Amino acid sequence: MSADDVIEFKNVSVTYQHRQVLDSIDFSMENGDFTYLIGQTGAGKSSFLRLIYRDLLPDEGDVWVAGYHINTMKSNQVPHLRRRLGIVFQDFELLPDRNVYENVAFSLKVTGQKNRYIKKRVIEVLGLVGLSHKHKSMPLDLSGGEKQRVVIARALANEPRIMLADEPTGNLDPEASHSLMKLLEQINDRGMSILMVTHDYELVRSHAHKTLKLEDGQLNSISKKSLSS
Amino acid sequence: MSIRYIISEGIAGIKRARLAAFTSIFSLFIAILLLGILARVSYNAYQIAQSMRGSIDIEVFLMDVDERTRDKIRHNLDEQSMVTDVHYISKDSAARIFRSQFGSEGGTLTDLDFLPASYRVDVSEEATAEEIDALVNEIGQVRGVEDVKFNRRLLRMLEDRFNNVVKIGSGVGALILFAALVLVFNTIRLTIYAKQNLIKSMKLVGATNKFIRRPFIIEGIIQGLIAGLLAVGVVYLLFHYLLPSLLPQVGILEWPLGKWYYLSSAMLLISIIMGYLGSRWAAQKFIRKTSITDS
Repeated sequence: MSADDVIEFKNVSVTYQHRQVLDSIDFSMENGDFTYLIGQTGAGKSSFLRLIYRDLLPDEGDVWVAGYHINTMKSNQVPHLRRRLGIVFQDFELLPDRNVYENVAFSLKVTGQKNRYIKKRVIEVLGLVGLSHKHKSMPLDLSGGEKQRVVIARALANEPRIMLADEPTGNLDPEASHSLMKLLEQINDRGMSILMVTHDYELVRSHAHKTLKLEDGQLNSISKKSLSS
Repeated sequence: MSIRYIISEGIAGIKRARLAAFTSIFSLFIAILLLGILARVSYNAYQIAQSMRGSIDIEVFLMDVDERTRDKIRHNLDEQSMVTDVHYISKDSAARIFRSQFGSEGGTLTDLDFLPASYRVDVSEEATAEEIDALVNEIGQVRGVEDVKFNRRLLRMLEDRFNNVVKIGSGVGALILFAALVLVFNTIRLTIYAKQNLIKSMKLVGATNKFIRRPFIIEGIIQGLIAGLLAVGVVYLLFHYLLPSLLPQVGILEWPLGKWYYLSSAMLLISIIMGYLGSRWAAQKFIRKTSITDS
């Protein structure tokens, strides 16, 4: 793994439910990269992400993430790896019985941060995602776009090096999706690497970044041109 | 790791899932209440059995022996470890006792000189029928002793009944404990299952399994404490008010070892331990199994 790489896959194969979803894949992502991962349903995109946050182990090959060797790391190190990743899912995974502030503060509390720091950091990240004024709102009172912003704020709270976003715009209308993409680009501009899984080719076209497609277990680079065809 | 966070999350956990918490507390409460009742009834049964055993004594009838031999026999009896008291009954005393027991019928036997002198020997309440048998045989061999008698049948019956009570009581107690533990485990598991999203979110942001588990364990301990306090209160009300008013002839059954705090503390402790074990067991299993991609 080179010094600039935050994620590296070497010759990685994964079989899931008797089907080979990843076949000897090589992949690397550097600090500050923004990469889309596209592919049909069942192509192995989720398995790809699960390898990164170590919810799955490769059958063959090696995976390094944020300096951790996924294959050999001990299970008690997994939480420490996940603190260096900001994970955003399509279904917002917010705690419905806590307000916006508490949902974000929660990610800092579970990592044992001090109250004074938590307060400061939550205000900071809520400001970054444009939701300072909604810190007392409950998730039920928020729109889909706002909920996803809270999830992003929560993912950012621990100052991760990499953000993994699995269909973050999947439940959003086009306007909210574009607004969220702008937010992710802003975050990327601050130096964070972002790996985003998406089905939304329109979004990929309008917010162009390096795009990889998973197909038949292989990872291929896709140009903006080939997406429009 | 913030202790305040763990405790406040533990308490909040009960508030957030009130029904599940109520079910856990109720199942623990019933188990501890049954154990408390069993312990208190068993202790009183044990006390009654012990006092009945205490009333069983050995009668050592003597031949017509001189005072020296009589003293030697007494000395021999005093030497026995399970003998607690030895009381001499002279021929005259024996006649007096006979008269007092048989009244005017006894009076027709003008000469009660045939009644032998004897020693009434009290033995320890802990002595078994076998040990007393051995003692009786030994005393029977002593020179100057004519006959040795004790109510072997009553003692055997008491021993058999008591052994049965102990076996059944322990079996029922163990069964209650086991059933309660399984019940508590399953209830807590359901409580934890209801918080699957919380666990997933915690794992997502990098909480360790230990950290996730702690509030659940605190919750289990608090549930155990509440259930234990309720059970102690109900045992008190039951034996001090309800039972004496329903069965006045029974009266108030004594607290084990004479003090309220032994049984109360034991009940509270068992309840807390069960709450702790149940929640730890359930949480450990469930948290480990929960993946952040589970839907």
